[in-house]
Parts: sequence; C-alpha cells; structure tokens
Amino acid sequence: MTAKIGGERLVLPLRASRRTRAVAKRVLAAVAVMWGAATLAFIALHLLPGDPVARLLGPMTSASETVRAQIEHDFGFDQPVVVQYLRYLGNLVHGDLGESYQLQQPVAKLIADQLWPTVQLALAAVAIAAVIALVSAVVTAGRPVLRAATSVWELVAVSTPSYWVGILLLTVFSFQLRIFPVAGGEDLAALVLPAVTLALSIAGVLSQVLREGLETALTQPFAITARARGLSQTGVRLRHALRHALLPVVTLMGWLTGTLLGGVVPVETVFGRPGVGSLVLHAVTSNDMPLVMGVVLLSALVFVLISTVVDLLYPLIDPRLRTQGASG
Amino acid sequence: MSTQRKTGTAIAAVASLSLVLAACDSSSGGASGATGNPVTGGTLTYAINTDADCLDPHQSPADVAGFFARPIVDSLVSLDAAGKIYPWLATSWTTSPDGKAYTFSLRTDVTFSDGEPFDAAAVKANFDHIAAKTTKSQYAASLFGPYAGTDVVDPYTVKVRFTQPFAPFLQAASTAYLGIYSPKALADNADKLCAGGPVAVGSGPFTFTGYTKGQSVVLTRNPGYAWAPPTAQHTGPAHLQTVTFRILPENSTRLGALTSGQVDVAKPLPPANAKTVGDTPNLSIERPVSPGSVYSLYLNTRSAPLDDQRVRTAIQRGIDVGADVKAIYFGQLDRAWSPLSPVTPAYDKTLENSWPYDPAKSAQLLDEAGWTGRDAGGYRTKDGRRLTLSWPSLPAGDAKESRDVLAQAIQADLKKIGVEAQHPPLDVGTYSAKANAGDFHLLDLSWARFEPDVLRSFFNSASGPPKGQNASFLKDPEVDTWTNAGAATADERLRAVDYAGVQHKVIDIAAVVPLYVPNRIVGVSKRVKGLSFDPNAWSLLYDVWRDGQ
Repeated sequence: MTAKIGGERLVLPLRASRRTRAVAKRVLAAVAVMWGAATLAFIALHLLPGDPVARLLGPMTSASETVRAQIEHDFGFDQPVVVQYLRYLGNLVHGDLGESYQLQQPVAKLIADQLWPTVQLALAAVAIAAVIALVSAVVTAGRPVLRAATSVWELVAVSTPSYWVGILLLTVFSFQLRIFPVAGGEDLAALVLPAVTLALSIAGVLSQVLREGLETALTQPFAITARARGLSQTGVRLRHALRHALLPVVTLMGWLTGTLLGGVVPVETVFGRPGVGSLVLHAVTSNDMPLVMGVVLLSALVFVLISTVVDLLYPLIDPRLRTQGASG
Repeated sequence: MSTQRKTGTAIAAVASLSLVLAACDSSSGGASGATGNPVTGGTLTYAINTDADCLDPHQSPADVAGFFARPIVDSLVSLDAAGKIYPWLATSWTTSPDGKAYTFSLRTDVTFSDGEPFDAAAVKANFDHIAAKTTKSQYAASLFGPYAGTDVVDPYTVKVRFTQPFAPFLQAASTAYLGIYSPKALADNADKLCAGGPVAVGSGPFTFTGYTKGQSVVLTRNPGYAWAPPTAQHTGPAHLQTVTFRILPENSTRLGALTSGQVDVAKPLPPANAKTVGDTPNLSIERPVSPGSVYSLYLNTRSAPLDDQRVRTAIQRGIDVGADVKAIYFGQLDRAWSPLSPVTPAYDKTLENSWPYDPAKSAQLLDEAGWTGRDAGGYRTKDGRRLTLSWPSLPAGDAKESRDVLAQAIQADLKKIGVEAQHPPLDVGTYSAKANAGDFHLLDLSWARFEPDVLRSFFNSASGPPKGQNASFLKDPEVDTWTNAGAATADERLRAVDYAGVQHKVIDIAAVVPLYVPNRIVGVSKRVKGLSFDPNAWSLLYDVWRDGQ
C-alpha cells in the first residue's frame, strides 16, 4: 500500500514534468516559427524596390508633399531599419500587427473580421472532401473497374483550376437552375457552391492517397486473417484497413487545410465572398504590406496549430504510437 | 494598384444630371425612361466589380469611394451634364473680383441624419478636415488647389479662400470628395470613416447602414430628406427603401448574376458581352462616357530618341488606333482624338480625324530623323543602335479593360514601322521609381474628372511626376500659359480658347497619342426605372425606383 503510494508519488511528478517539458518544447518551437515568419516577412518587405511611400500611394498620384511627409512619419519610414524592426517585433509581442496602409484600420481587427467566413468555408470544404474521399476510396480500393472510373474524376478534379470549377457550378446551379444564390456569405445556401468547389480538388488528392493506403493494407496478412475470422469484405475495409491507411491521409489533410488559406483566394473572388482570401488578394495588389505580413503570420500560426492537432490525432488512430509517445 | 484604381477611374466629381437632360437623352432610353408613376419602397441590388480600400472620400482617391459616398453626403453645389453649376446645400454664391475667394450662402433647413444642424461651421469643419495634413487626403485635398482657408462669416454664410485665382473649385465642390459630413461624425469618428458603416453620417438621401468588407454595402432611405438639388428629377425622400451594392469582382459572376435576375444592375460588363446583354429582352445596356483625360499613351519628350519631334510624330501616326480599338473592344469603345474625353467641357471636336493612321508618313519621318538602318529583327537602327522604346507596365492596370491586348496590338503596329516597344510588367515600387524619374519612353494613363483642368496636371511643366501626371515631361511655354489661364478664369469662352490651344498643341507636337474614350458598360434590368448618370458616368440612385414585383 505504502509502496504503491510512494511509487505513484515518484511517478506523477516525473510524468508531469515530462509533459510540461513536451508542452514547453512545442510552445518554444511555435514561437520560433512565428518569429521566423515575422522576420522573413519584414526582410521581404524591405527588399522590395522603390520608396515605401511611393509604393503605398501608387504611381502618378495627386498626393501633396505634405501628405507624403505625414505618411512617412506615421508609418515610421523615416526611422532606421533596425529601429523599425525592433518596434515591429515589440508591437507583435503585444499582439499589435500594426495598421493597414490602405484600409487605415488595425490589421488584427481586419483579419479577425474576415477570419470567420474563411474558416467556415475551409471547414465545410474539408468536411465535404473527407466524406467524398472516404466513400470513393473505400468503395473502389482493389476493384479495378470502379478504380479506373474514379481515377478519371479524381484526375479531372485535381487538375481543374478552382475558379473554373466555381464558374461552372455557378452557371449550372445558380444562373440556370437557380437552386443556389450567386454569391455571398449570408447563409448556408450561399456556402454550398463555394465549399463544393474548394472540396473537389482536395477530395481528388485525398481519395487517391487513401485508396493507395487501403490497397496496401488489404494485401497485408492481417486483412486475410480478419477475412478468415469471418469478417465481411466491408468490415475488413472499414474496421482494419482504413485505420492503417488513415495516417498519411491525416497528415496530408492537415497540410491541405493549411494551404486552404491561399486556396480560398480564387473561390472567394469568383463567389464574391468576404474572407481572408479576398483580404490577402487586396493586400497584395494594393501593396498593403502590414496586412500582407499579418496574413503571413496568420498562416504560420495556422500551420503550427494544425501540425499540433495532427500530432495529437496520430496516437488516437494508431495505438502503436501511444507507447512511443509516452517514452519519447 | 493605384494606377489601376486611379487611372481608369473616375476620380472625381459626382454630381447630378439635370432633369431636362435625363428626360430628353434618348441614349438612356429603356431602363432609364422614367415612365409611369414612381413606386416607393423596395430594394435595388447593384453588382459592382470592386470594393474600396478606404470608404472615406475625404481620404481615398478611389472612384468607388466617391461612388458609395455620393448618396450619403451632399455637396455645396450640383453640376449638370453640360457643366453648369446649380445650388444644393448652398443657395447662392459669389466669387470675389480677384477670383481668390468664394462666398456661399447656405440652406437653413438641412439636418444631418444624426440630428445635427447643417451650417457654416459644418462646412468649415469638413474643409479643414480635408486640408489637415493628418487626414492624409490623397485626392480631395488636391481638389482644393491653392487652398488658404475657410471662414465662417455668419451661421449660414461661409467663405473659402485661395492664395491664387482658382476657377476649378466650383466643379470640385460639387463632387462627393468634398461632400459634407456631420461635424459630430468628424469630431467623434474621423479615424473610423475609412471603415465605413453607420459612423459615416451625412445629410444625403440615403444613410450608410451596413458594410461587409469584400461583400456588400447597404444604404437605407433617409425619410427626412427634403433638399434635393434642382438637377434631380424629384424632390423629397428617395424612392427606394434600400440599396445593396454587391461586390462581385469576377466578370462572369457579375454577368451571370445580372442575366439570372439576381441583381438589378451590374457594372462594368466586359465589352465582349455587351451586345448579348443588350439583346436580352428584359435587360438593357447603358454606356455613359467617362469625362476627363482619355486613356492615352504619353511620349516622354525628355528622353532620347523621343526628344526628336519627328520620332514622336512617327509613333503617333504609326499606330492604327481606330482599327485596334474597334477590334479589341468589339466596337463598344470609341477611339480618342483629343487627350480630353468628348463629354468634358472645352473638348475640341475639330481634332477628330485630324491625325489619321499614316505609316508611310511615319517611315518618312523616321528616315529624316536618321533611323535609316535595319537590323536582323527588321527594326530600324541609327549608328548601329536599334530604335527601342521602353513602356513600363503594371500587370494590375493592364488586366483592366484588356489593355494588355491593346498594348500587343500597338507593339505590332510599331514593329511594322520598325520600332521596338518593350512593355515589361513591373511591380509598383519599380514602376513608380521609373515613372517619377522619367526613366521610360512611353506611359499609358487616364484620369477621369469632369473638368478640363486635368490638362494642367498632365501637360503643365509644374506638374512633372511625382507632383503631377505630366508623363510627357512637357515644358512648353504656350501650354503652361494656357493651362494656368484656364485654371484662373471662370469665363467659359476664354477657357474654351485656352484649352483648345492645349489640345491642338499636344497633338501637333506629338506629346501624346490618345487611344480610347473610357466608358462604363452598365447592364440594367428593365424593372429598374429612373436610372440616370451624372457627368462622371456614375449612376444616380436618388431618382431610381423599381417597377412592380
């Protein structure tokens, strides 16, 4: 009894400190990634050719000398680069991403305002893509005729630009059949077409990878054993093979979700949806550097978060990773 | 970006079209015809291609900022399509004998939609706000020209002073860029005006009720509105209850939204689709022409070999402008003959057909200028050097109105006369640096404003980049005298003479090759009645109503 309690006393702090260390490591790595992204963005900004005020105002402007001087002063362009960098980092630490050149609003607020429609779109797209990929891969894996047929649509979906898919879907379902509204971020009906557009290309990739994994798993001895135990074909696919095939798919899905921040740009444009995509397009075309840097940081953050989520999912999918995780 | 925004765009005045003109103008037939009794209420959905970075016309140079603001803020005066000034918030005005001061008598019955009264102090607060350097006004402040200050003479009399005679001021005062906000809005929320929404309080026929960035702008009728300018077709509150602008950047989406009846008005439509839309029974096409400086190629007179007038004329006559514009824009845009658009006051019609395409003359002039050799590429050479011209391009500006395709046609024309025109795409920083330093031969620009004073910013020697748009780097004493004289006098006959002189001179010395007259192809559902356009080719929403349904 005493020994057991003593043992637990010994083990618990140890585990706790190990976990703390693991968490601290993760947080440190995240901070390093963010700092790296911020610094790279800053360097890229300063490597741009031309005078920042001229870039901000654009060519052939009617802005006066006074206005130029005021802009230079307000954005600190008259300070040495090191001072600008330190001030930028200092502001970042306080969560201040600066003020947009062109929109004259805090970058953090702009991004926060536009984030939800994009998150909505991205999550809906990933969910639809996952369902399509799952059904398509599970049904067709190891069945040559079906496989050939689905490969065709996968290839088409992957290689068709999303703005083109979007225009096609709009033409059929909005302009002709008038089932869905042309565009907007107002309600669920307006989310369907953009989400499907975005989902199709992701689904194509996911489905290919998933089927490949399934087919490999189905040739493994354990699949045959399971069949021998009397499990149905579908049972083997869903209960055993899928688990094996899922690991690379989850990794890929995490990465794809991260890239959606850029992937939404054409979709948001075609459907006239608000969101980070249209914000970043606007920021890049209007040389709104603080906003571009804000979005760079956001995407770094998104990747950090997604890779954490993916790491947490691994042991849930594959029990073998749990013991490794504990010892590592 | 800014070139894209500013150049093709109407940076300028937005004012009202006269009742008489709208009723008589047959070109605004179909959808615009105000037949039947106006219906009160309903929503108009208007698809537009672009959002504004900053929605405050006091700060932003974007045409769309002025467009969204026009129904929200009123101006001191109103302008009709002929360029005649009418009262609006000011009942009358006088110009001092030296032309340096304008005294306005103001209406006494106007209230802003937040309940604040309109008076001389409100005008002063607005003008001081625009001129303040902390406002960083990129356009409105420049409309003030040699501004000295605004004085409150009595509660309903205000005096605006300038350091020099400044005739373009009344036109400027008619624009939404010098529109009047509630002084309370300026005092409390000056820093939030860029973000738009209900903080932007004016005295206009609509109030700014909603804004979702990148998606929509929503305006709601101001029920107390009773001070419409005489240029409008009715008095009292606006007919429509709500106006929703939907921002649809993609051409095909905007077009599909219009043809499927999901929006009532769509602007702009691609020239390629204009005819189809016009042939659709329930739709019509309007083509209001933009005023100001047309889309032109400016020839840098300071940069060899274009410092030789013969080479410049060879370029000017060696481009088949008419055929190029007709082919590329499906006949929907007119070729230009003058640097001024035909709808601008003081446009000189006598320039039309005065400088036709003449490649033989170009060849002769280039021979005379000594460019007689030919290299392996078929280009002319002089002392072993190829006749190459640099023409910096901004990809964002090029994509607009198929200007990249037009540029290719021009390059092909010039190749025929043995001139190589390089049109490399540049980033804004490099482009601005080159433009400001005069490190180029050709530059394409346009600038919409209902005022021939644009000629001063394009051709006066004091307007060299970065201070102005004199991309020809022209330094011509006659042109300077004319443009300065035109800015200093309000006498229309004198101005017509001065500006005709400028238009002829810059064509004669080939400082510019006018290309096409920008217009806005607007698709309108026949449900929409009473839609008219102001001198800046922007739709006026105050008189619009929806038929039935």
